[in-house]
Amino acid sequence: MRGIIMGGVIVVCFLLLYLVNDAISDDVKSCLRCHGIKTLSKQLEKGPSLSLYIDGAKFEKSVHGAMDCSSCHPDITMKNHPRPKKVSDKMVYVKEFSKNCLTCHDQDSLMKPKMHGEIVKKGVILCAQCHGSHYIGSIKEWKDKVSFDDYCLTCHQFNMTKTLPSKEKVSLKIDEQEIKSSVHAKFQCLVCHDDFSKVDHPVYNYKSKSEYRTRMVAICIKCHTNKELQKNLAHYALTKTASCIECHGYHGVKSVKTVKSLPENQYCLKCHSSSIVMKMKNGETLSVQVKESDLLSSVHKKLKCTDCHKEFSTTQHPVRNFDSVKDYRAKAKDVCNNCHQDAVIKYDMSIHAEALKKGNQQSPDCLKCHGYHKVALITKDRNASSELCIRCHSESGQAFKVSVHQKAINDGKQNAPTCASCHNSHDVLPTNVAKLGDSCAKCHKNVKISHNKWLWNPPVRLTTFVDAHFDSASCAACHTTVNKAIYLTFVDRGKKKPLTEAEVAKIFGVDVKDVKSKLDCNNDGKVQQEELWQFISTIKAKSNANLSGRIDVLNSSDAHKIEPKSKAIKDCAVCHNPLATFATKLEINREGEKPIKFVLDNKVLNSVYAIPNIKDFYVLALTKIKILDTLFFIALLGGIAVPVGHVTLRILTAPIRRKRREGK
Amino acid sequence: MKKIYLHPLPVRIWHWINAIGFIVLILTGAQIRFADSMGLMSFETAVQIHSWFGFILLANYFIWLFYYLFSGKLFKIYIPPFWKPVEFIRNSLRQVKYYGYGIMVGDKNPHHPTPENKFNPLQQVSYLMIMVALIPLQILTGLMLWDPKFFSSLINIIGGIQIATLIHTGLWIFFSAFIIVHFYLATLGHTPMAHIKAMITGYEEEYEEH
Repeated sequence: MRGIIMGGVIVVCFLLLYLVNDAISDDVKSCLRCHGIKTLSKQLEKGPSLSLYIDGAKFEKSVHGAMDCSSCHPDITMKNHPRPKKVSDKMVYVKEFSKNCLTCHDQDSLMKPKMHGEIVKKGVILCAQCHGSHYIGSIKEWKDKVSFDDYCLTCHQFNMTKTLPSKEKVSLKIDEQEIKSSVHAKFQCLVCHDDFSKVDHPVYNYKSKSEYRTRMVAICIKCHTNKELQKNLAHYALTKTASCIECHGYHGVKSVKTVKSLPENQYCLKCHSSSIVMKMKNGETLSVQVKESDLLSSVHKKLKCTDCHKEFSTTQHPVRNFDSVKDYRAKAKDVCNNCHQDAVIKYDMSIHAEALKKGNQQSPDCLKCHGYHKVALITKDRNASSELCIRCHSESGQAFKVSVHQKAINDGKQNAPTCASCHNSHDVLPTNVAKLGDSCAKCHKNVKISHNKWLWNPPVRLTTFVDAHFDSASCAACHTTVNKAIYLTFVDRGKKKPLTEAEVAKIFGVDVKDVKSKLDCNNDGKVQQEELWQFISTIKAKSNANLSGRIDVLNSSDAHKIEPKSKAIKDCAVCHNPLATFATKLEINREGEKPIKFVLDNKVLNSVYAIPNIKDFYVLALTKIKILDTLFFIALLGGIAVPVGHVTLRILTAPIRRKRREGK
Repeated sequence: MKKIYLHPLPVRIWHWINAIGFIVLILTGAQIRFADSMGLMSFETAVQIHSWFGFILLANYFIWLFYYLFSGKLFKIYIPPFWKPVEFIRNSLRQVKYYGYGIMVGDKNPHHPTPENKFNPLQQVSYLMIMVALIPLQILTGLMLWDPKFFSSLINIIGGIQIATLIHTGLWIFFSAFIIVHFYLATLGHTPMAHIKAMITGYEEEYEEH
């Protein structure tokens, strides 16, 4: 059967020989005997069949019309052909035969047009892909006739890329359909790229994509002049920080009408999904890029952009000028305040808000904890939920890790505390005014009653006795085994609030930074008795303030090292002991900030001056007024001296009484 | 020798409870204050005993108060005759002279106790001060220290817990000295044990002049 088919093919080939033009060579004629058959094709291994038909007339007209087939296909002769040749796909075939072009077209000639040379060198686009195979016309004629767009697309339809010095890759492929659907559909390439022509193809060496995009702006502003752009100030402002391409793309530029018809979020993201930045007056820049994925994974995924950014819309984009990133962040809070008023009010009274106001850029605001657009639900992972705090409060974080509370987290207890459980999430207050004991009591219910089981004074079990201790000592003072200190704080008795450093400075008529020198006059780093009493006398003369006291841990981070109940201090003599080695500190409160602390001479607590000055703080045995001990011993001696003296006199006068009794 | 029923039973009960209470409170008070150098008991035990005895003394004070109020003797026995100041001062000086001089040379005690007038002028002033001012003050400041929160309003009235402590400690010093002198004076009867026996039996023996 196979023999019959082959025989048939040979007969047909001979018949065709008479049909082809006499101008072509015999070699070509002999090939066309078979390849002149329109249906001649070859099944490729990986894809569709490849037509092997050659139009002899068209070939004759090509620039290679006078050449033999063997000139380009030197490996094929009538002796070895036809024979089945396996070809995996068309590109492999094209690649193989494009090598043959180089037999005649030497490397040097191919390099002459510079850009052509670049393409040949890379070898990404093969000769046949641009020039075709059997019907190659004259380049000169083609150039004259071909439209600009087709001329450019001849190469740029392919997947070409350019690697920039920054290692970034820029695609040079142009999607013809994209252009046709853009507002620039009717433009030829040269309208924009006017430095290019059919004879000139400049090569630009941009260092990075960013530079590439910026330089491309020059193309746009040729038509879209500054004057035109200034009609929309927000857009104009944007052009100062972002290149046109970042929002509008390269070739698929859509009409404004089309963009405005997008859903609102898509409209905003049209620009804000790009890496655009906002410039502050002080020169700082802030990214205003919004990742759609962030929005979609946030708790706000159902909101529209304008739900938060109320002053913006598809028709309004006010231009906002911020002094600095700090200024921007301070105002960003207003966006959250649209819905989360309670949280913002609480935050405003926090130590974090105050610190931020005073210029501590590390201090958190809404954005620092919740992020800009990726606002997530509070994680149920109790370790992870504290991570943000620990980033700044690392020492406290480390201390917490050895606590009984961390163990509870590790054990998977659902009521185990995180940072916010005790310190709150928004209204985080300085620890000296935060009433952290109340936070403990939130979880440790009936804490008074449980303490009252052992902490009471007979004969009546009153919880007020527990209160007296809770008022004077922090929970951590007894529930940790770390060093402790007695803290004295100035409290305004009238306002029942700690006196602030600013108020103290006002009393002394000095600047806040000079308060220290008024207290530690000799600047030895420790406040001596005389220095403290002198300081207090001035404060008392001009205010209603007095010192209050409390026992707490010496290093505030150590307050997180809460021990198991079994290790809590129950021995009264730990504190009620004249030999207890507690440090003594003086605290002066700072509004919304951590208080300023001074090392105090321990003797102040046992001084007679403590009586009028530390009115409400007394720890039996520990803070006793020492001079009273001396008075006690003097009184005891006096009490003994009276009878001893009297008895002595009576003994000495016994003879007088005896004589009198005897009537002498 | 005649016997005078000077100390009725409620007074004797009150006195001895008071005496024991004072000694215990002075000692436990010292233990609380000198927790580092005294080793009678732990701080906690000292505080508990001190609190118990403080309340016992508080109750005991009311035995005294009710007895003298309801027997009507408070005024007669404790209040010096301020309407006869010259005579009272003269009697006081005479009593001072007796303890300072007369007792040495064998003079008789110018004061002769009777159930209606059992204190000499010096005793009258001292005991009035102690019973009406000092013990109530010691009890009140003791209560403030017993539970500073419960009695916080009282503490605020007197000007803070440091003041309460100062008063309580000051009176502790006074009572410590006083109790020594008081015990010595109790031995100055016609025999060293006369007054002490009287406080047990109720009957004071007095030599009659013949």
